[in-house]
Amino acid sequence: MITVALPKGGLLNDSIRLLKSIGLDFSAFLDDSNRQLEIWDATHTAKALLVRNYDVPVYVEYGQAQLGIVGYDILREKQPKVAHLVDLQFGQCRMSVAVKASSPYRSSIDLPPHCRVASKFVNCANEHFNGLDLPVEIVPLYGSVELGPITGMSEAIVDLVASGRTLKDNNLIEIDRLFETTARLIAHPLSYRLNLDGLQERIEQIRTAVVPVA
Amino acid sequence: MVYQPPVGARDLFPLDVAQKRWIEERLQRVFHGWGYHRIITSTLERLDTLMAGGAVEQSTVIQVHDLEGVGLRPELTASIARAAVTRMAGVNPPQRLYYNANVFRRGDRGIQNHQQEFYQAGVELLGSGGVSADAETLLVLSDCLKSLQLDSCYLVLGDAGLTRSLLSPFPEPLRTQIREAIATLDRITLETLPMASSLRDRALLLMDLRGQPADVLQRVSSLDLDPEQRAIVSNLKALIELLEGSGAATPALILDLSLVQVFDYYTGIVFEVVSATNLGKFVLGQGGRYDQLLSLYHPQGEVCPGIGFVLNIEDLHQVLLPTGKLPLQTAVSDRLVVPTEAQAYAAAFAHAQVLRESGDRLRVEVALQEQSAAAIRDYARQRRIAQIVWVNPSGETQSESLE
Repeated sequence: MITVALPKGGLLNDSIRLLKSIGLDFSAFLDDSNRQLEIWDATHTAKALLVRNYDVPVYVEYGQAQLGIVGYDILREKQPKVAHLVDLQFGQCRMSVAVKASSPYRSSIDLPPHCRVASKFVNCANEHFNGLDLPVEIVPLYGSVELGPITGMSEAIVDLVASGRTLKDNNLIEIDRLFETTARLIAHPLSYRLNLDGLQERIEQIRTAVVPVA
Repeated sequence: MVYQPPVGARDLFPLDVAQKRWIEERLQRVFHGWGYHRIITSTLERLDTLMAGGAVEQSTVIQVHDLEGVGLRPELTASIARAAVTRMAGVNPPQRLYYNANVFRRGDRGIQNHQQEFYQAGVELLGSGGVSADAETLLVLSDCLKSLQLDSCYLVLGDAGLTRSLLSPFPEPLRTQIREAIATLDRITLETLPMASSLRDRALLLMDLRGQPADVLQRVSSLDLDPEQRAIVSNLKALIELLEGSGAATPALILDLSLVQVFDYYTGIVFEVVSATNLGKFVLGQGGRYDQLLSLYHPQGEVCPGIGFVLNIEDLHQVLLPTGKLPLQTAVSDRLVVPTEAQAYAAAFAHAQVLRESGDRLRVEVALQEQSAAAIRDYARQRRIAQIVWVNPSGETQSESLE
């Protein structure tokens, strides 16, 4: 029996579509009336756990799920000990530095030393500014990071940008891109090595089902 | 003020100890059975000793602040290698050593209250290279698992020397990146690192050189191997045949040439023993051959082969507990000796000692509080003591069996 950890939120639709294409139907998670966090596919060969995207690598690292789908941004932020197997190509966005459009800053190195940077991605932000040798104070936030510069709490933010619309609507501009991110198929390393219950076969099916984006 | 143990420390109560000893006694019996001798090294070790092999990171060592450059050992191999080459020189090889000790590791990556003290039991077979020493080590390991009645185990076997050699066509610094990606099973990095497509095919093939031994050996043999690599492959083949031919109950074998660490001191076979039950998959222990390590500790740099493995007692405990094989109670006293009145204590202690020395290895406890006969019987029943012995001041005894 194979267990897959699926992320709530933006990646869920595509994840469920992908698994359906290899014969594992977890679309019950998309039903608004569904409150179950663990469901079986119709053939009873696999189970899916519905968890917060941040928690996907946790379930996979501890082996409660052999497979998981999660954004590269979270893997980069949390550095979990999991196998990174397939770039699933969906959920494309980028990790960026943004500031108020009215500010004079047009690149990370323009930021004044020891300024504040708000982010949900504390480690990614730290890594970026350490790389520039620019000392900044990272303010951890859990959502609506854009409010950091708007309220004046921070000069900049480090956050995921998809279309850039949220930034625009809040009068922020993107000044640096840290990295591109997409959804990834990850696996519990030990389960991957042991390859029980046809795990490798499922991984190959997923790899084949992924449509490469030109 | 509430006095708590330090973060990551835990106390073992009598039942925990009984369960731990259940495991350790079985392992010890196996080690003795194979002619291994116990070595006890110091809990404190110099950092330069610990880190000489290149596999221990300083950040994982808990350092002692009163002593410069000294920390609590995170594993035993470095200590044993140091001790063996410097103090046991002149002993005819092979040396068969085992240990059963606590180790300390700083909790990693911000996991709250991560355990810092662990117990390990393992062996080091020093001064003996070759397939037969590899086979002995794996057979001792198999014997350990058998003695613990651990079924559904897998032995994931690799060869650090072969994998290192198969990585040699990659130029540096690409090689280091590829090795790290293979060690951490990061296929996406292998797919995206800039390199020629022939090199990429090779890297992807190396990451998935895993499965049934015969199958994997065949796939490796299909590569363009140099004589040294062919020798390693034929040694691996011989080892697997030897294990199969020995008739011993060995765990299911998975040959996995991607089984490497980012940093290690292994030169030959490497292995992990994994328990896979419906409760999950756990690494119970690991080991490998380290033919260069001992020379680092030798004053003249003399080369001496070595191989060993370690079993993690906590992981064994976790896997064994649900099987119901571990003791669920501490040892029960065989007799409760009760003085009939306060003046009878001398006689009671004397009689208890006679019982202890009777040669039946009885566990005898003396009732320390004056209580009613009914309360004494309740206490004995509660503690599952089958027999009460009443002793009067003149030393006369009366036995009473409890149902």
